[in-house]
Amino acid sequence: MTKPAMQLTDLNKTIGKKQIIKDLSFSIYPGEVFGFLGPNGAGKTTTIRMMVGLMKITSGEVLIQGKSIRTNFKEAIKEVGAIVENPEMYPFMSGWKNLVHYARMIPGISEDRIKEVIRLVGLEKVIKEKVGRYSLGMRQRLGIAQALLHNPSILILDEPTNGLDPSGIKEIRHYIRKLAEEENVAVIVSSHLLAEMELMCDRIGIIKNGELISINEVDEESDQQEMQEVHLVAEPLENAKEIIESEQDIEVRVDKDMLIFSVNRAQIPAIIKRLATEEVDIFYVQAHRTNLEDKFMALIGENAIE
Amino acid sequence: MSNFIRLIQNENMKLYSKKATWVMIGILAIIVLAVGLILRFMDDNNLKEYGDDWREELQVENASVQNDNGDYTEASYRVNIEKNKYHLENDIKPQSYGAMQFVYDNIGLAMLISLFTIIVAAGILANEFQWGTIKLLLIRPVTRLKILASKYVAVLIYALTLLVFLVVFSWIVGALLFGINGLNPSAVMYDINGYKQVSLLPEIIEGFGYRMVNLVMMATFAFMISAVFRNTSMAIGIAIFLMLAGNTIIPFVSQYSWAKYILFANTDLSQYQSGGHPLLDGMSLSFSISVLLVYYVIFIVASWLSFTKRDIAGQ
Ligand SMILES: Nc1ncnc2c1ncn2[C@@H]1O[C@H](COP(=O)(O)OP(=O)(O)OP(=O)(O)O)[C@@H](O)[C@H]1O
Ligand SMILES: [Mg+2]
Repeated sequence: MTKPAMQLTDLNKTIGKKQIIKDLSFSIYPGEVFGFLGPNGAGKTTTIRMMVGLMKITSGEVLIQGKSIRTNFKEAIKEVGAIVENPEMYPFMSGWKNLVHYARMIPGISEDRIKEVIRLVGLEKVIKEKVGRYSLGMRQRLGIAQALLHNPSILILDEPTNGLDPSGIKEIRHYIRKLAEEENVAVIVSSHLLAEMELMCDRIGIIKNGELISINEVDEESDQQEMQEVHLVAEPLENAKEIIESEQDIEVRVDKDMLIFSVNRAQIPAIIKRLATEEVDIFYVQAHRTNLEDKFMALIGENAIE
Repeated sequence: MSNFIRLIQNENMKLYSKKATWVMIGILAIIVLAVGLILRFMDDNNLKEYGDDWREELQVENASVQNDNGDYTEASYRVNIEKNKYHLENDIKPQSYGAMQFVYDNIGLAMLISLFTIIVAAGILANEFQWGTIKLLLIRPVTRLKILASKYVAVLIYALTLLVFLVVFSWIVGALLFGINGLNPSAVMYDINGYKQVSLLPEIIEGFGYRMVNLVMMATFAFMISAVFRNTSMAIGIAIFLMLAGNTIIPFVSQYSWAKYILFANTDLSQYQSGGHPLLDGMSLSFSISVLLVYYVIFIVASWLSFTKRDIAGQ
């Protein structure tokens, strides 16, 4: 396997007496989008703050392209572009001046590069306006622009789609994929929304109460043998239930007007065909990957912010 | 080094992009203008021009207020008898009022510059925390120490800019309203030993110099509060309160021996001017400078430690 772009080993953070992050270890590789998923208060932002040196590491290590953020901050941080929580900018300056401000802090960023980044995030029209007048989505884009100025090899985005409208989310997702695939950037995206993560990540690490619970691959072509949970709304419901149970010899749960059952992915088309030939009207079918969804729901289900 | 200059450029850009900064400069300009106009059109005595027969004029003035041996008339408040006597005894013709005299009279406005510098010093760090921009500022390949230093230097540059502005603008307003009366005119002034003739330029430099000591100390103090508490209003409040109240508490505690170690007992170095009387027993120029240096180092180290060693966590 290739060398990791970023490597966390046994990361711990204690504030006061409270242990917020516990023995967190994982690696992120060039060209992949890594999702950092967890409910509110799980410790995503805290981990990111340690990754970029805003918070001291209680114990453990963060290596960025092999360089320690603790002992070699300047060299390590050069590789990183980031948004931590909200993309706060100077509201009394224009978007342009905000970018110039950050560009001045890193040697070798030309005016052309600033313009290029502005074009990339689609802010050309409003870049001379004061940031105070920007919408949340525009600020989010400006935040991404400042993170990309120096062509970082690692991009860390804490809830980048927060506050964006659906088309904005789609655009950012598209853009993140492109950066990973075409420029080989390692992208870390945090979120508490699984559906959103599944659409843009290659791997998803689930964190709760400061502990990493699991890391899962998100495959585009799912394994045909993988069990999936199917949600189905059909009429008449009882007929549909009997047909499926007889066909597959499985248990079907009824939840209001919906049938819920688990089957191999490969068998879903056959079930639908059968229902159709039996004159059952199908209004809605959705198949969930049980694996990740279950894990996450189990985690969110007992969600109590401690 | 060019790196550091770019950081200072950034601080200046942020500073001058804010309206408040320009409002401060505007207030300073308006006050200078107002003082000039009041002096020019309301108070004619200061501006009195003496002719070739100035000796007789001064004698007439003195006589007019003191005709019945020692019995002052209502005109007395406008005439400085002792000063006139000095002119006569030493055969020095009173100079007419001009741009440089106006600059000299505006030295007191350095107090206002201190106030504005405190406001800027209090905000320059804490604002970044309150805006949340500190996070994006500190994830660049620049050490925290350099960022801290660039902010501190930007504050000093701002103070210097206001000072230069005050001097130059006062001179221009003075020149327009009263005319130019040489670049280094002499004047007769009072100090503890009585009246004497002095050159104005050194007096102006000295006057501003003494006030700069106070300014730098208070600005550094505000900067430290801002670094430690990460809160702008708190830093402004504490620093301005101490600046205004600091001097007034000295008399109340003067009986204690530790009073002379209080910062405010030492910030006014003009107390040691020739023949001057130190504020408290046991104080001397070198004592005050040592005390100031110790405070200064404490302020700087406290700012440095709390800015570079502490976590940047949520509010
Ligand atoms: N400065 C601090 N002092 C004490 N506790 C803190 C501090 N910062 C964060 N915490 C605690 O650490 C835990 C993790 O917080 P963090 O902000 O990392 O969560 P998160 O996963 O980013 O959540 P969200 O999805 O809400 O952004 C929370 O329980 C929080 O209360
Ligand atoms: Mg968070």
